Amino acid sequence: MANDFSADVIVVGTGVIGCIVAEQALDAGLSVLMLEAGPRVERWQIVENFRNVPPQYKQNWNAPYPPKPWAPHIESELADATTDYLQLEGPNARAYRQGYVRYAGGATWHWAGICWRLHPDDMQMKTLYGVGRDWAFDYKTLDPYYNRAEYALGVCGPSEVELQWPPLPRSKPYPMGRLPFGQGEQRFTEAAARVGVTNLPAPQARNSGVSYDGRPPCCGNNNCFPVCPISAKYDAASALPRIESKGGRIRENAVVYRVETDEKQNIAAVHYFNPDKQSQRVVGRIFVIACNAIETPKLLLMSKDERNPNGVANRSDQVGRNLMDQPKISAQLLLSEPMWTGIGPVQGSSIIMTGQGDFRSKHAGALLRCENAALSAAGGQAALAKGLVGKALDTEIRRLSACTARLTIEHEILSDPNNRLTLSDKKDWLGLSKPNIYYDVGDYVRRSHRDYTLPLLKKLIAELGAVESTIATTFTNSDHMMGSCIMGTDPGNSVVDVDCRSHDHPNLFLPGGAAMTTGGCGNSTITMAALAMKASDSIVEQLRRG
Amino acid sequence: MTHLYRDDAPEEFSLTRRKLLVGSALVAGGVSLSPLDWAQSTGSAVQAGESKFMELSSLLINHHLDAEVGARMATAMMRINPTLIQDVDAILSIAKLRNARIVEEFYADVPAGHLKDTAYAIISAWYSGVIENSSNAEVFAFETALMYQPTRDVMTIPTYAISGPSGWTSEAPPMSDMPTF
Repeated sequence: MANDFSADVIVVGTGVIGCIVAEQALDAGLSVLMLEAGPRVERWQIVENFRNVPPQYKQNWNAPYPPKPWAPHIESELADATTDYLQLEGPNARAYRQGYVRYAGGATWHWAGICWRLHPDDMQMKTLYGVGRDWAFDYKTLDPYYNRAEYALGVCGPSEVELQWPPLPRSKPYPMGRLPFGQGEQRFTEAAARVGVTNLPAPQARNSGVSYDGRPPCCGNNNCFPVCPISAKYDAASALPRIESKGGRIRENAVVYRVETDEKQNIAAVHYFNPDKQSQRVVGRIFVIACNAIETPKLLLMSKDERNPNGVANRSDQVGRNLMDQPKISAQLLLSEPMWTGIGPVQGSSIIMTGQGDFRSKHAGALLRCENAALSAAGGQAALAKGLVGKALDTEIRRLSACTARLTIEHEILSDPNNRLTLSDKKDWLGLSKPNIYYDVGDYVRRSHRDYTLPLLKKLIAELGAVESTIATTFTNSDHMMGSCIMGTDPGNSVVDVDCRSHDHPNLFLPGGAAMTTGGCGNSTITMAALAMKASDSIVEQLRRG
Repeated sequence: MTHLYRDDAPEEFSLTRRKLLVGSALVAGGVSLSPLDWAQSTGSAVQAGESKFMELSSLLINHHLDAEVGARMATAMMRINPTLIQDVDAILSIAKLRNARIVEEFYADVPAGHLKDTAYAIISAWYSGVIENSSNAEVFAFETALMYQPTRDVMTIPTYAISGPSGWTSEAPPMSDMPTF
């Protein structure tokens, strides 16, 4: 049934989730049309954009991705600009200033590539700790999909059992071995051991020592975000040509603004605007909305009709609720001895064992890591600010760059229906509602920060030999958006079933972070990708049955 | 400047805008003299200004400097500071009084205020690669900006790998081994 405006499977969004579902469907012989709100650009353009960003603004990962007016996203960390698209409110509004990009390839353009799986206990929070929700299935059910996702993305990780996470026998090895540590991560690992915690090499979607999937091995460009210049790190943009080679069609600059239902509550079509503000209607047999945990619920809420007065897929009133991330606290240290970050990828390890424990009945677990980005620009600017010249300037740049370290804490958060996305009265360039988000990290996170993570962070800071340290007092975003179309078996309090299928519409799938029931303290992408694999199987099976 | 598709989003970082800015900066830099002055000025006068800028830069910074980058920065800095060339002359005079060859030999003699600010603006430009703190400032140098060079033996200049596949280790040279640049 494929033509310009129809296919077996219509996929809205071309990020990692859309690309996984599209490729699985194509491999099963189905026709696929992908619709992407933003533009499609070449890697070199992003790299050149990055190189031409002034040094004071290079930490803004969205800077090399200027948004098109029809597909706005946050483009700057400047206060006046960040209020422009996401309308944020609540006690921790700053912590939901999410830095995704609306480009073909999605936010994987500037993800770190880190692929922590959930721990089995993360999926049973209600049963084990009496807080949050339990997943609708257990870790064992998800494990084979994790394996498939790791092979699809190309995840490297340690072969030593004692360095693997979660601490369970793997049912399949990582596709590639781990990447080496530079001096910074080695020093952090040793300091962590001295305070009784373990810093593990992170599984990461980066080619380690060998080419994988037509992409080259990581050469340590130290620029995983905002863009890997050689695509050694998986990003969905690198999957798009392969999807096209398999017959998939990708239409960029197509902003889906309405999901149309029929009288049987099937999805009949989606409607999109092109940059000329002309509307087009696209029909299919299965519809997959994979636009991240902000854009997906926004689209569903915008699509309300007579049969669905609260929005599509929203009989439960849970669409847009339960927004999660990992509230982040950052610290910058000046050490007496060189740390030397900036060798290898920008992130490569974490202390993640700190996410587990009986304390979770009282407060959140958390992950801690040492960032591995090069700090020469920061050191350079700090030395210049001192007014030094000549050899003194060079010596101070070398000292400040080498001896500075940045540590990060990322807390798990409970799903809370009050953390909610709604439609703002403010409109974007196309006249579509901007997202309005209320966010409060909650006492579960605040207690963790006060009683658990801050004391541990201070121990690490002391152990590293810091002579100065600045610890942020405000929670910030981790860009791990989750929960807004939450999964469950009860259609009364959840949006999707165990296969990310809408409880309300049998041919509508909402895979990805929005479906996640809990998030743990690790990066969410590999769990999102595993859910996409599971949803893909269900889509293929559903269409085979007719 | 109007944008067909933009009426509400901020324009910073827009590629289209950046390209136009680069173009306009070069033109604006050239005509920071008034149009009449520009008509009367000669190419050799501009070259003389650039030459003096490079002469002073070489005294302020004891490293290899790219003349092409210097010419572009000089033109752009004249736009921000209309008295740049006179300032450069004045600072050069101070250096010559001392027979200075390196910055340490005369920098303390540059009087605080406008002249010292100008001298440090030139140093900052070569080190940071930009002449102003603005999100859409023109970047004159990134991988050759001097602030990346004192650590280039260990720290990657982002997107310019210095290693190979899994070719890095946790070993690092002593802090005292300053690279030559």
